Amino acid sequence: MAEVLFIGLSLSSILLLIALGLAITYGAMGVINMAHGDMVMIGAYVTVMSKIWLDLSFFAAIPIAFFVTALIGLVIERLVVRRLYGRLLDTLLATWGISILLQQSIRLEFGLSFFGINIEGLGPGLQNVSVPSVLQGTVHVAGTDLNAYRVFIIAVTAVLTLVTWAILYRTSFGVQVRAIIRNPQMAAACGIDVKRVNALTFAFGSGLAGVAGVMMSGFKTVFPDMGSTLVVDGFLVVVAGGVGSIYGTILASGLLGEINALVALFSNDIIARAVVFAVVIAVIVLKPKGLFSFKGR
Amino acid sequence: MLSIKDLNSFFGRSHVLHDISLEVGKGDVTSILGRNGVGKTTLLKTLMGLSDRVTGEINLQGRDIASSEPYARARSGIAYVPQGREIIPDFTVRENILMGGFARANGKPTIPDIVVELFPYLRDNLERSGGLLSGGQQQQLAIARALAADPGLLLLDEPNEGIQPSIVEEIEQVIFKLNRDLGLTVILVEQNVRFAREISHRFAMMEKGRIVAEGPTAELTDDLVHEHMTV
Repeated sequence: MAEVLFIGLSLSSILLLIALGLAITYGAMGVINMAHGDMVMIGAYVTVMSKIWLDLSFFAAIPIAFFVTALIGLVIERLVVRRLYGRLLDTLLATWGISILLQQSIRLEFGLSFFGINIEGLGPGLQNVSVPSVLQGTVHVAGTDLNAYRVFIIAVTAVLTLVTWAILYRTSFGVQVRAIIRNPQMAAACGIDVKRVNALTFAFGSGLAGVAGVMMSGFKTVFPDMGSTLVVDGFLVVVAGGVGSIYGTILASGLLGEINALVALFSNDIIARAVVFAVVIAVIVLKPKGLFSFKGR
Repeated sequence: MLSIKDLNSFFGRSHVLHDISLEVGKGDVTSILGRNGVGKTTLLKTLMGLSDRVTGEINLQGRDIASSEPYARARSGIAYVPQGREIIPDFTVRENILMGGFARANGKPTIPDIVVELFPYLRDNLERSGGLLSGGQQQQLAIARALAADPGLLLLDEPNEGIQPSIVEEIEQVIFKLNRDLGLTVILVEQNVRFAREISHRFAMMEKGRIVAEGPTAELTDDLVHEHMTV
């Protein structure tokens, strides 16, 4: 039983890394970013490529993936999302388009496959990442043997969540982000450069998704469409937890991850997913603002 | 201090302000008067940069800011106390005040001495949530937040609306003090003619998005008030 809860916790961790960025961008900027799942995909490909081309270790891929996806997020915000603030549905469509573009550019090796040029690691095929030997096997904690790689995922998530919390609640930048979440017009009237803060927030959220991609690459196959289902999972967590609430996001990802693991134990993954959907629907019906939304004005 | 020329302002497709021209002298209190819905609040929002589109000029100390972002205007010395106060309910009093400080020239938010002096209640309750304060206290907080920006020009939108009478006088005294003692230039949107006459040097009367009369407060006659303000 403890083992199942532990597996659930590692699922929750991945969910949380994906959802944190979404929760902040959706909450702060009112942007539905369908390309967020593809940041996970790109993070996973960064892991693949940094091994093949730079012979870097799995650990080195974590910061690289963060910066690469944060930079891509920044470019997306500057070029597209910035023009669409206040137009929720348009952001959904535009970022969906970006998502398709990103997936196809990986699949077609940035279009080079048309010229018969192939980049090793990209393309429509499946890629695998081998986890470093330190993270293989099990660690012995409190009388049970735990999968070392899952412990690592949980630890990385805990650290990044703590960093996110500290940025939001212990820095002047965080005050600006929270002020924009609550009242963007008044934030601007108080001298906060809303566009700049939004761009950096968007980049940070994308970076977290990139790290989630590195984590996923260690136990799932890497392929160009892997982001599509993940963005849905991310939004399920955000909606269930309450938009703009970091605590809600943490608890909802914990809840959904554990439900997934528990139901999968007694039946299978597909039924587990259906149950997760049912739970989220129940939450939306009973508490439309999510489990932990902040008090409105 | 502030010179507005042929200002037109739009929200979406609706054209709200028509050819507004107004001069605001340094150290003056200018009252914007008129019935509900004539564009007084829109005028303040437009000065702060919160409307969708503008044409015309807004010169602040010789610099045209009509196309600047709201944050840049805040940093060039305009502070805004909106109608309904719009403090952030789940920020503490301290966080609400410091929020205004992002517009300070040196970028280091602090609680200015003048806030401590004017609002002892806020000083003693810095860790309370803003949402727990009474209407009058929230109004004090909104003014304190504006002062944290160390502004030269203060935009006040009906500071006494919906506040218990005991506090109204207190707020009026604060505005007097900010202008007469500290030399803050003030643009005040007001419905209360008695207070507008007491505090302002000049007035501007609005009707349907236009300024229909303006001048020194001595020219604010009962006839004018009757024509443009009584319902």
